[in-house]
Amino acid sequence: MITRLLMSLVVLLIVIPLLWIQPLSPVAQPHPRFVKLDKTGSPMSPWQGPWSCVLDTQKHLVWEVKTDSENIHDGYWTYSWYLASDQHRPPRGDANLGDCYFESSRCDTQDLINKTRQTALCGLTHWRLPTSDELSSLLQSPARPGHVHIAQDYFPHMKHGDYWSADHSQPLTGHYQRFQQGATAVNFHTGEQYPLPYRNAAFVLLVADLPPEFQSSRLKSVVH
Amino acid sequence: MHRVTFVLLHALVIVLIACSLLTGLRFSLLTQDWLTVISTLLPQGDLYPWHVASGSTLSVLAMAYLLLSLWQPFRSSPTLYHLWVNRLGYVIIMSLLCSGWFLWAGQFVTFMQPVHFYCLWLLLLYLLIHGWIYFIQYGKHILSAVLPTRIEKQSAFIVTSVCVAGLLICIATQYSASPLRVAHLGPDEFIEIDGRDDESHWKRAQVYTIETHGGANFDDGRSIIRVQALANQYESYFLIRWTDSSKSTNHLPLLKTEAGWKVQQDGFYHFDERTFYEDKLAVMLSRSCASGSDNTAYLGNRPLQGKPPNWHGKGFHASLDGEIRDVWHWKAVRTNDMYLADDNFFGPPAVVQQGQRRYSAGYQPDGKESGAYVMNWQWYTPNTVIPKRLPDPENAHLSVLPWFGSAPYQSTLDQYAPGSIVSSILYRSNRFEGDRADVRARGRWDEGIWTLELVRKHDTGSAHDVPLKNGTCMWFSAFDHAQVAHTRHIRPAILRYSL
Repeated sequence: MITRLLMSLVVLLIVIPLLWIQPLSPVAQPHPRFVKLDKTGSPMSPWQGPWSCVLDTQKHLVWEVKTDSENIHDGYWTYSWYLASDQHRPPRGDANLGDCYFESSRCDTQDLINKTRQTALCGLTHWRLPTSDELSSLLQSPARPGHVHIAQDYFPHMKHGDYWSADHSQPLTGHYQRFQQGATAVNFHTGEQYPLPYRNAAFVLLVADLPPEFQSSRLKSVVH
Repeated sequence: MHRVTFVLLHALVIVLIACSLLTGLRFSLLTQDWLTVISTLLPQGDLYPWHVASGSTLSVLAMAYLLLSLWQPFRSSPTLYHLWVNRLGYVIIMSLLCSGWFLWAGQFVTFMQPVHFYCLWLLLLYLLIHGWIYFIQYGKHILSAVLPTRIEKQSAFIVTSVCVAGLLICIATQYSASPLRVAHLGPDEFIEIDGRDDESHWKRAQVYTIETHGGANFDDGRSIIRVQALANQYESYFLIRWTDSSKSTNHLPLLKTEAGWKVQQDGFYHFDERTFYEDKLAVMLSRSCASGSDNTAYLGNRPLQGKPPNWHGKGFHASLDGEIRDVWHWKAVRTNDMYLADDNFFGPPAVVQQGQRRYSAGYQPDGKESGAYVMNWQWYTPNTVIPKRLPDPENAHLSVLPWFGSAPYQSTLDQYAPGSIVSSILYRSNRFEGDRADVRARGRWDEGIWTLELVRKHDTGSAHDVPLKNGTCMWFSAFDHAQVAHTRHIRPAILRYSL
């Protein structure tokens, strides 16, 4: 009987430590392509926030992240397609036909580019409109019903609508033929792309090339 | 009763008790946080079918044993100690079976739920003073008395019959539902969705009553839910009343401290808030009617293979059979002023999004075209947050911040004194638009009762909605200022239209 009591004790001693095994806790997994960056451009872990930009490790680009904080990056603001003149090109597009709150007049793409450059979002000052190829590279099937065609966990506050690309001088057809030329927009609701008149109000997601001097430091500091 | 028959039945009892006990403990873990320590020892997944199957078979076995004992008792000569321990075991098992069936039927839950719960612990005690003492007394020789060494035709027939009958009862109970009769509503009869049951039409609708249990904060975890239904040619109307002694609209309020604004919470970081949360009611609709939760509750820390664990260890909702379940989720703060219930669904486990800290598996909202409430913080941390907007002082008491009547947050303009409290819910528009807005709803609380009126088209055409028609099954769960810890019932209501 003593032996059996001792055996019971041994079984108990084996079982009790099992109670100290903690159930698995969720662990953040890196995204295969995107990395969050804070407003200074420092990488963040997938569950950290708030983040201001997304580093695209595949394309070596940095994307603006939209907000719902009524600042210049608010996802609700729309812009007409307009680029001011510089040394190399005349002005192009239609100015001030979009809607935002950060300009006393109405808004265009140049306004957002200027403001974003001035504030050096994520430490970068060469923000620009993405090409349609760059913008289309973000398209993916919605992860949830009603979501837009993008990784919405990294790109929140994206709207079901058209986003301007930098591709201009596109011939317009059909209903818009009378405006002759426009710029290509990518629709994140349908996943399509098509030219729209410059005067249309559409959303904007800016992009910046990852400077060569940043490439090694930022990509290295990303822990995948 | 032959000895071989007894040994075989005893072996079957051991298997059935083990199955019932382990699955039952997993259910207990939904309400008993201290049981988390044994979570790793318990099974995970869709456990209702196992619990009902083992309970059904055990019930048949108990009846068979009783009849066999009356007809041809098994002659044995246990010691006085074991004689009384066995008698105690019979009482415990019978109490568990009876209370289990009452819980399945949703009747006398107030009494039966504690009986079932405490008998579970008595059963554990019984196993100790029965099985362990036998082991201490007889050692490995006890195995020869417990494990069958030979099988006789008659014994095999009895055991097989018990198993088959148990399975048949299990199938019958799995698909048994209680009728919820839907009274006719004439084309000229009108119901205003205002949370008042003052329309005379409701008087002709039969009252379906279900006692639900297992919810956090309710008195003893229980809430009695009464449902009435009316339907015209196009829509079904539901009047749902449930007991809740407190009206809770204090939803994760923002408290101004010396350090800044802080979200008041006591579990929100692990998505299991049970203090600073709004009252809610959830209705699940399904084309099928399986007991429990129609195979949509996957319990445990990580019940879905290949998917992440959950934060609270309770489990996930998901549908793995290819059919979606419709979920109407009325929220006392977030959707009530929209005059809507949040139209959600249980579908296949969603794709994991690396950037999202919370994974909700198959529980998803229907798509929407626009409109939403948003949380009034730029980024949540358990420490301090930056609000998106602050209300004008005259609106500071509102449980939902209006867009007009609040201003974007600027630290330099923040005049609120430490100790001030403002809402964490901000309406960016009056209501959802699109698929998510299919269910109109309005609730009112008065003297310990929530009264909720709901209406939806019979068939919305949405892939994420279940049509309301004869045979559609419904489950109801109430939340008393709890994020996920809701009450539940096992047997569904089945819609019976008079049209």
